[in-house]
Amino acid sequence: MIKKIKASRSEKIIFIFIIILALFSFGSFLLIKDKCLFVKDYDTKKIHFDSPENIAILNVPCGNVIIELYPNISPNSVKRFVTLVNSKAYDDVAFHRVIKGALVQAGDLEFGKRGSVNYGKIGTGKSGLGTINSEVDKPFNFDKGTVALARTQKYNTEDSQFFIILKDEPLYETEYTPIGKVIYGLKALEKIKYLDKSQYVLRPDYINSIRMLIN
Amino acid sequence: MNLIRLILLSLFIFTQSQADTIYNLIKIPNLEIYEINSSNKLRYLYAKQPFTIGIDNNINCFDSEKKVLDKKYKIIKKNFNRYNQKFLKKINLKYIVLCEDLSISKINTAGIPDNVMKTLILDIKFDEKYFERVIHHEVFHIINDSFKEIFDEKIWSNFNMKDFRYAKCSTCTNKLGLDTYSNTDGFFTEYSQSTASEDMAEVFSHLMIGTDLNNIDPILKKKIQFIKKNLLKIDENFIL
Repeated sequence: MIKKIKASRSEKIIFIFIIILALFSFGSFLLIKDKCLFVKDYDTKKIHFDSPENIAILNVPCGNVIIELYPNISPNSVKRFVTLVNSKAYDDVAFHRVIKGALVQAGDLEFGKRGSVNYGKIGTGKSGLGTINSEVDKPFNFDKGTVALARTQKYNTEDSQFFIILKDEPLYETEYTPIGKVIYGLKALEKIKYLDKSQYVLRPDYINSIRMLIN
Repeated sequence: MNLIRLILLSLFIFTQSQADTIYNLIKIPNLEIYEINSSNKLRYLYAKQPFTIGIDNNINCFDSEKKVLDKKYKIIKKNFNRYNQKFLKKINLKYIVLCEDLSISKINTAGIPDNVMKTLILDIKFDEKYFERVIHHEVFHIINDSFKEIFDEKIWSNFNMKDFRYAKCSTCTNKLGLDTYSNTDGFFTEYSQSTASEDMAEVFSHLMIGTDLNNIDPILKKKIQFIKKNLLKIDENFIL
């Protein structure tokens, strides 16, 4: 006759500990693997917009980022951005410059396209449409989520590159041309790939697409 | 205690990230915001720690005590408020860096203008006797660097006596005195005689601080007219 052996209290504790450890390890594995796990993806059909004609949807690896554009603040710059959006020029373009917790920059149409990224020149590329003048005179709060056009050290050199700030940057007012603000989905931008030791990203994340809500 | 440590740590993290933004904009490390809500949109920054910049790290400046900074800032702001936002934008000046014991290649200097980076570094411990005047002197260098074609040094040099020659550079001469002459004879100060650009800056700065112009000589009168006329080309509403 087989005698039933009852587990002691300490054996039960060790068993429970092993189970918890296994669950924790499995959970951590899932979390580490999926960087987008806790990022909410926004569906534009479920959101009401006051100015739907000024809404752009930036799709990135972790979902949709909804941007409201401000043509009343920077008409020419917004016009340039919308032109490039409508021609799908930004699709498959790299987030080549990313500073963790500070900004993500993309829009090098010449050297930042998926499949033909030129790491030696990325960030210097042009759109082929020429540069446009900076529009920096109107008061604007560069708070978290602001979308602005990038430029060289000189004003009036804006083209296709843009950046989105992930923290308030009051010093950027009158320095860069603001074109809009992220109204939903900033968290998806915080998950864009960055490097600790360099602002320029090797094997970067890409813009999947940018579309205007109303074409 | 842990809470205090956490607060201190978070302050440190915030400070560092803000400092990185400033470095990205003007390429000077160890700076923090002193005041950015000025009426003419000038951004005042101060050295939190000493910094070294320039070719071969030849420009050095040190941090100041807060009470010195607070005292000097009032004077600095009063003087910079003489320039409106539109004018500052035209001449390309936006950032004023406040620090002390500023030197370039180990030579002490009141200020270092850089119109490309839109920055003027000011030594807030520079001799108080001349401090307000040198602020405008350095602003003129920004103006001059942004409008070289307007402030033609050949035309300027021709105002002087025929046998007068400027030095090749402002530090290539011992003419460094900043006291205003009672008998001008073509120049406001000894330092005016160093280079054409320094001479123009001295004329401009004397005009800005309202120097008595009743007993000046004909050469200096011509120089004053030259400066006034050309400033109006930059901004027709500029008031001296």
